[in-house]
Amino acid sequence: MQFSLVRLLPLVACAVLFAAEEPVDFNRDVRPLLSDRCYGCHGPDADKGRKAGLRLDEFEGATKKLKSGERAVVPGDLAESEMIKRIRSEDPEDVMPPPELHRPLTAAEKDILTRWVKQGAKYEPHWGFTSPRAYPVPTVKDTSWAKDPLDRFILARIEAAGLRPSAPVERAQLLRRASFALTGLPPTTQEVDAFLADKAPDAYERRVDAMLASPRFGEHLAVGWLDLSRYADTWGYTGDKPMFAWPWRDWVLKAFNENKPYDQFLTEQLAGDLLPRPTQDQRVATAFNRLHRMTFEGGSISEEFRQDGINDRVMTAGYGFMGLTMECARCHDHKYDPISQRDYFSLAAMFGDLNENGLLSYHGEVPPPFVRLFKSEAELGKEAQLKAAVAAAEKDLARLPAPAPAASVALSAPDAHYPLDAFSAAGADNVVAGGKPAKFERREDPSDLQLVPGVSGQAVKFNGDAGFILPDFPKVGRFDAFSFSASMRLGEKNARAVVLHSSGFYTGDGDATGLELLVTQGRLRWSMIHLWPASAASVETLDELPVGQWRRVTVTYDGSSQAAGLHVYLDGKEVRTKVVVDNLNARPRDHALEIGSRTRDAGFRNGSLDDVRLWRKALTAAEVAALQGLEPAALPAELRVDHARRRSDAAFAQAAEKLRQARKALAAHQEKAPAFFTMEHSPLAPPTYVLTRGEYDKPDLSKPCPPGAPGRIFPWDERLPRDRLGLARWLTDPKHPLTSRVVINRLWVQVFGNGLVASSENFGMQGDLPTHPELLDTLATDFIRGGWNTKAMLRRLVLSATFRQSSTPSTALLEKDPANLLLARGPVLRLSAEMVRDQALLASGLLVEKVGGESVQESAHRRSVYTFRKRTAPPDGMLIFDAGSREVCQPKRLITNTPLQALVLLNNPAFVEAAGRLAAQVSKESADPAAQIRAAFRRVCTRAPRAAELTALTELYAKHQAGAGKPDAKAKNPADAAMAALTLVCSTILASDAAVTSR
Amino acid sequence: MSLDHPSYDGLMRPTRRHFLGTSALGLGALALRGIVGEAQAAPLPRGTHFPAKAKRVIYLFQAGGPSQFETLDPKPLLRERHTQPLPDSVRQGQRLTGMSGYQSVLPLAGSFVDFKKYGKSGVEYSDLMSHVGGVADDLCVIRSMHTEAINHDPAITFFCSGNQVAGRPSMGAWASYGLGSMNENLPAFIVLVSQDATKDQPLYSRLWGAGFLPSEHQGVQFKAGKEPVLFLTNPEGVSPHARRDMLDALGRLNADQRAAELDPEVDARLSQAEMAYRMQMSVPEVADVSKESPATLAMYGESVKTPGSFAANCLQARRLIEKGVRFVQLFHQGWDQHGSLPSGIKRQCRQTDQASAALIKDLKQRGLLEDTLVVWGGEFGRTAYSQGKITKDSYGRDHHPRCFSLWMAGGGVKGGYVHGQTDEFGYNITKDPVHVHDLHATMQHLLGVDHERQTFKFQGRYYRLTDVAGHVVKAVLA
Repeated sequence: MQFSLVRLLPLVACAVLFAAEEPVDFNRDVRPLLSDRCYGCHGPDADKGRKAGLRLDEFEGATKKLKSGERAVVPGDLAESEMIKRIRSEDPEDVMPPPELHRPLTAAEKDILTRWVKQGAKYEPHWGFTSPRAYPVPTVKDTSWAKDPLDRFILARIEAAGLRPSAPVERAQLLRRASFALTGLPPTTQEVDAFLADKAPDAYERRVDAMLASPRFGEHLAVGWLDLSRYADTWGYTGDKPMFAWPWRDWVLKAFNENKPYDQFLTEQLAGDLLPRPTQDQRVATAFNRLHRMTFEGGSISEEFRQDGINDRVMTAGYGFMGLTMECARCHDHKYDPISQRDYFSLAAMFGDLNENGLLSYHGEVPPPFVRLFKSEAELGKEAQLKAAVAAAEKDLARLPAPAPAASVALSAPDAHYPLDAFSAAGADNVVAGGKPAKFERREDPSDLQLVPGVSGQAVKFNGDAGFILPDFPKVGRFDAFSFSASMRLGEKNARAVVLHSSGFYTGDGDATGLELLVTQGRLRWSMIHLWPASAASVETLDELPVGQWRRVTVTYDGSSQAAGLHVYLDGKEVRTKVVVDNLNARPRDHALEIGSRTRDAGFRNGSLDDVRLWRKALTAAEVAALQGLEPAALPAELRVDHARRRSDAAFAQAAEKLRQARKALAAHQEKAPAFFTMEHSPLAPPTYVLTRGEYDKPDLSKPCPPGAPGRIFPWDERLPRDRLGLARWLTDPKHPLTSRVVINRLWVQVFGNGLVASSENFGMQGDLPTHPELLDTLATDFIRGGWNTKAMLRRLVLSATFRQSSTPSTALLEKDPANLLLARGPVLRLSAEMVRDQALLASGLLVEKVGGESVQESAHRRSVYTFRKRTAPPDGMLIFDAGSREVCQPKRLITNTPLQALVLLNNPAFVEAAGRLAAQVSKESADPAAQIRAAFRRVCTRAPRAAELTALTELYAKHQAGAGKPDAKAKNPADAAMAALTLVCSTILASDAAVTSR
Repeated sequence: MSLDHPSYDGLMRPTRRHFLGTSALGLGALALRGIVGEAQAAPLPRGTHFPAKAKRVIYLFQAGGPSQFETLDPKPLLRERHTQPLPDSVRQGQRLTGMSGYQSVLPLAGSFVDFKKYGKSGVEYSDLMSHVGGVADDLCVIRSMHTEAINHDPAITFFCSGNQVAGRPSMGAWASYGLGSMNENLPAFIVLVSQDATKDQPLYSRLWGAGFLPSEHQGVQFKAGKEPVLFLTNPEGVSPHARRDMLDALGRLNADQRAAELDPEVDARLSQAEMAYRMQMSVPEVADVSKESPATLAMYGESVKTPGSFAANCLQARRLIEKGVRFVQLFHQGWDQHGSLPSGIKRQCRQTDQASAALIKDLKQRGLLEDTLVVWGGEFGRTAYSQGKITKDSYGRDHHPRCFSLWMAGGGVKGGYVHGQTDEFGYNITKDPVHVHDLHATMQHLLGVDHERQTFKFQGRYYRLTDVAGHVVKAVLA
């Protein structure tokens, strides 16, 4: 009841106000109604969404003749305007909006629409989609109040409402307010005393400058950005493994502390990797787009989660940079804003430009693409040296003179040889002396395999689910040479079949690692993989293998970590292959080889293998030929030269070993530096299509989507590259309507608690209108002109007269402007989860101040920005104080009051500990209880307690200190009792309104 | 420009909070709830839209995806065709998970356990559900549930919040937001997680989170043991008297602050602290089952004596709703039988069957069943075919979102009734499909809430539990 009164009163007021045919303002009065009640069916969504062919979001559509012959809107003519008839209709069949919407128009709202049509049905562009411009500073009656031009924008509104600004806030409170706004911490008592004693006119400015220069600034400013960027320390989803992301958090902190211009801040995060000669830091910045959740849950479908990840990036960029709900347009054109589904997928193409796997590996390894984080320039320099050494060794090897062609070719004995003429429950024999037999993969039983006539004797026919483990080959690394040869027959044209692999536990291609021989659409794919697909070397035959015929398949790998080192031979002759990917940059996991099957994957179904041989070396082409029984003399000379080089040329052997060692040294140096996920543009990224209804498995191949941006929000400059860097340039174009407004609004929220646009996450049609549109625009243009200077802008805000007002309203002001929309008084903030905790730590002397580094548990007493954030189990105390889970982008937090918050403040061991420490601290400073209480109150609440407050606390203390010795008192002696009583007092202070607010 | 303009929705929120203040968890809530019968007036985001059949909900969530074939949906044909491949005509090319999607054969698996008819209604339950069968005439079995996700995390998130994407409010949070608590000393939405379950798939606070609703609506987890609610217990050395004195002092501080600052938010903060105190007093009382009769305890089975067991949580749920808690959600993990299904599901039913039935009987004997809705089920079903090989005495089943079963009871639901049907393979629905959104719409309907009208404007869009879908399943209404 109360709720509806609050909602209705203003509208009644409007109706009265507008009775005298006041002109309507389209953006202020009309569009919010059309958007909220009409656009859902008569808006920009061009597909199935639009009813009766009518669109009301533009003049042409609203006034055109409809199929029915009617016109919804005939400017100036109410009688002919079908819309007016329909909104006034009493007939539930006829009335608009239809009753099913459950949001009927009120009388006042109908009146607005009626007057709008009567006054000519003028449309104006949405305020948020036109470029901001600077407005002249308004003239005001009171010319002495303003400290910054922004104050005059505020004052003009206050004066127009017949009000006056509030008196300046008391100085200690001002310091507290500024300190929370800029550092997230209260000032210490010493800082307050010094400030109160400093009578210089610029005392406050100097304090503000000191706060802006403090590293605490970045630690505080980062929090909102971390919410928005869904930064956390785990991957989310089932299992929720740790995610190595904190170097990106430190990048954000540093960016704020170094006052990186916002356009650069944005550009490096969106496209640091695409900048010319990007630095390690600039690559780290791009992790912004990799922070979304990833799953490794068994059975998950990679493409589904790849698309979800891309969606998350689009959504986060939408909220973060533009204040737009982009993700609405994944399944259909946006219902309210001019963003088509195609626009959405153009952005998706921007963010889907990497060769990535949609799934995390079961082992939670850093999913490629990644960079190596070198700790110092020296380490980076060493990498460059080692790279140069590899290049030199390659050159040396290539420069060696060719030896004479080998006259004969001796075939080296295999290191394992499984004839597969028979098998038993134990497995299959290895005829190499001392070699271990092949073992059945334990998930199946031998009856699943069949013996069939082979090339020599019998062969094994696989069912796709069962295979053999080859225990003799546990560790084939990226620098180890290897060859596999077998007679092979396809029983069908397998779409996918694993012939050989060393992945171990496998829940999908996120887990593919090591050697892998696949049949894919009948072709052979031969790979050495770290993590598929972005860190691997892989080749694939151009021709299909015939079905039903025995062929001798030999594959070799030379241990070079390069696709060029992978060779495929059929019946003794090398076949043509194409490179699938050539970017192997870390070591695979170590597992034994398996043939014929892989857990949860498609094994070699209906395929047969015979005479399987393996070598711990790369066979030469001549040896492969010899294996097939081809006469060496008949081989082309170049193969015999190559054979001679690799088998009997000492100089070559030496140079090859040198190269191998150079590569190993480079890799060892690189792998010492942790891998860190980044964005990396790849030509191998899958092309983007419109997904029908947004479903991952329904790409509409007739609708390819090249990278782009929503051009009806702001036109794309064709000179820009169509990639993330172009996108960053588009966003930071000074004429872009949203970027600067969104960030100014965010800074305003930082300082004033509420935005000039209350819906800081939505600047679209369904968002709130700015309370001070001209101020917002003027600040936005100032910001751009000043070089997107965040600190300078915040400095202006906290130095303004608006900010320095008392927050205590007069009764009249409270009645007229309960929500403080006019800013005729100073801001009141309920402290955030981080501030509440950090304040308790600081006031009690527990806070450990150290900037950056690995995330920590709360017990480490570091600032909350460093608290380890597990997405599926966020820190309870923080969740209760309205911090989110960081699973998805959170553009703003709601502030609530709940009983659980009281429980946190009074009972959470962290706050209990702080209360105890605070009591201990202040009791060291004075023996007088009243002085102790006063000191504790000032440490937490900044100001001195008022008389009534001091009395309440002193009485609490006295009662409990005197309680020593009573049955329910724990304390045995007076000193303990005093400390216990003081702790109760401190705990009470920490839970008080004065503690959890900045006023 | 007038400040009192509808376009300043977001900015008006703090003001609304002043008025609503503490309502959601009691106090002012009673006043808010008096809007029954105003269904035709302007849309009201909160309160009932028509008379409620159910005042409260106990949701017995069976996490992991219980197999319908061994519990609620008998398929004799699978026994006949045991080990034979699933016909392609049945699968119709529908997607499988990556667990069994590459399996070369998909052998049908018949249930290892028999089914019998129970009660006057003669509804069939498996022998593993014989206790539940004993209350068959109170239950409505839905055999035609279907959902969208095929993996646990998205599916359970979808089931608990109506969306696979994280960040949406959970069922209980919506109930708390819309209806509030009926006891000003307890939260409206309480969550109990079985300690005796096999923890195969993890649970996370998202499943009972408030999403974008104010955080006061998030589910509060009750745990067995000394501290049923996190941070409920006074620190060592602080007696209840001392706490009372602290709160009195806090009251004086805040009263002074209120007078000095003229800010009604201060009142809200103080009343929340007072409510915290009352919670401290009332929670231990509601958690204390020592006064339950031996007969009642016996009904729930031996494990009721183990704190935190499913049985103990069922009893706890009854005690909580008796005290006026709006929504109690139990979670029991361990139903993810990819392999060794027979032994696994036997264990699951042993842990849950008797207590689930006892809860129904207990509610009934206290006259609570008629206005308490009880729901039992998981996030998806399982496949008709075996994942992995069928052996002499074992098989497994993969995830199956296309059809599964659950049961409901009480709170305006038709008893002794089976809704919906699957084909004889139990692979596809043949009659009356019920989507998760439909179930949510129906649950809300029973609570007196029109699922299309209970919305929350967030980021410019009106959100609801059922997103843009959902139909009330009229046939299950009593």
